[in-house]
Amino acid sequence: MRHIHTVIRAADAAGAGIRRLVLMDPDGWPLPKFRPGAHVDLHLPGGLVRSYSLCGDPAQQDRYTIAVKREAAGRGGSAFLHDQAAPGDAIGVSLPRCTFPLAPDAVEHVFIAGGIGVTPFLSMMAALERSGGRYRLHLLHRGALPLPDMLAAHVAGGRVILHDTAAAPRPELAALLGSPAPGRHAYCCGPAGMIAAFEAATAGWPAGAAHVEHFVPPPLPPDPSAQPFTLVLAKSGREAALPAGANLLAALRGLGIEVESSCEGGICGACRVRWLEGPPLHRDRVLQPQEREREVMVCVAGCAGPRLVLDL
Amino acid sequence: MAVDPTWLGVVTHLHITARAFLPMRSMAAIELVAGKGIVGDRYMLGIEQGFYSEKPEPGRQITLFEEEALDCIRRDYGIEMTPEEHRRNVTTRGVPLNHLVGRQFRLGECLLEATRLSVPCRHIEAILERPVFDPMIHRSGLNCRILRGGTVRVGDPIRPA
Repeated sequence: MRHIHTVIRAADAAGAGIRRLVLMDPDGWPLPKFRPGAHVDLHLPGGLVRSYSLCGDPAQQDRYTIAVKREAAGRGGSAFLHDQAAPGDAIGVSLPRCTFPLAPDAVEHVFIAGGIGVTPFLSMMAALERSGGRYRLHLLHRGALPLPDMLAAHVAGGRVILHDTAAAPRPELAALLGSPAPGRHAYCCGPAGMIAAFEAATAGWPAGAAHVEHFVPPPLPPDPSAQPFTLVLAKSGREAALPAGANLLAALRGLGIEVESSCEGGICGACRVRWLEGPPLHRDRVLQPQEREREVMVCVAGCAGPRLVLDL
Repeated sequence: MAVDPTWLGVVTHLHITARAFLPMRSMAAIELVAGKGIVGDRYMLGIEQGFYSEKPEPGRQITLFEEEALDCIRRDYGIEMTPEEHRRNVTTRGVPLNHLVGRQFRLGECLLEATRLSVPCRHIEAILERPVFDPMIHRSGLNCRILRGGTVRVGDPIRPA
């Protein structure tokens, strides 16, 4: 099992063009914990992988709640989750990752959300309500509210301010954010144009006090010596151009080559492959020097030259 | 094989989980089934749902981990790791697990045979969000086959067969 095995337990409409899904373990077992602001990857049929923020309360450990906006011009992930995914269906989910955490040293959080971009702030607000943290959310939306039931208590409490851009001019983000102050952190999740405007508005803020959510996986630890190279499979004659720092094991799987693997950290010896031309950059801790002259652990290796030819 | 009479250990924690990635659940007692696994655990043969279940392995019916290794990881790396975080089923104290490969030993009323050392996996770092892979090398516990099943409880003795 390479993913968390979940089942859709509930699905409902939750605002304009938004479908909310509740994912649970088949037996209701607790799921891996997540931090406020975290997201998961959903593994959908056809190899589609899509990231969604978890918008439920992190203290509710038996479920992941996501909200999916239908993207008419999307590549099929949101259409599948709107039109085909149904309660009872199984969905593979990655471990939660938090690339948009609450600043631990903040005394006040100012959130700017655009439409469905409110989702990471919902988990943050649940945690801040519990811990007594100070926050304010400005939600810019056009017409119907996203996830109105999850926002209602926060709106009534005065800590979420709604800006309906269909009814009034779009507010200046700088005015909503106020001035930078010690312990004040600003966050933005929304369309690319809003993120650009937010970055402009916070350009004068102290380093590390302004945060934006991009749905990209955390980068691998950089290897300053990594170079792009061509992967060549001697037996099949196939080739692939790999960017600097690419994972060789993943590249082989992408070419449809079955390679045993286990630890994927260069110590267990499962993914040993013979190489013919290179030389590889060995980063394992399992091969002896004389073994390295012929073999390579592809889960961690790179290539020192322009071509790596494997005996596959 | 000569029996080493110099150690006597104890079960300090018991954990199982239903599927890969899910949090381990602390148990006061677990049920071992000879030749199969632990009732309710992800590596029970026949209903396997563990991270490595695509690769069946009869010697992975139950796994053990030294509580002393947690002490050492704290000492050597300053990393706190709790018994439910190492993801093995049985946490032991006073048992030289690395010496037992290929040998039989008693876990409470049950009889186990150690098949190989456990190897840490990178994915535990994603689960824990802590760099524990290197610290766990060579002290990541023991994989065993269950020769005689039964109930194991926290506090049960562990001794050579």
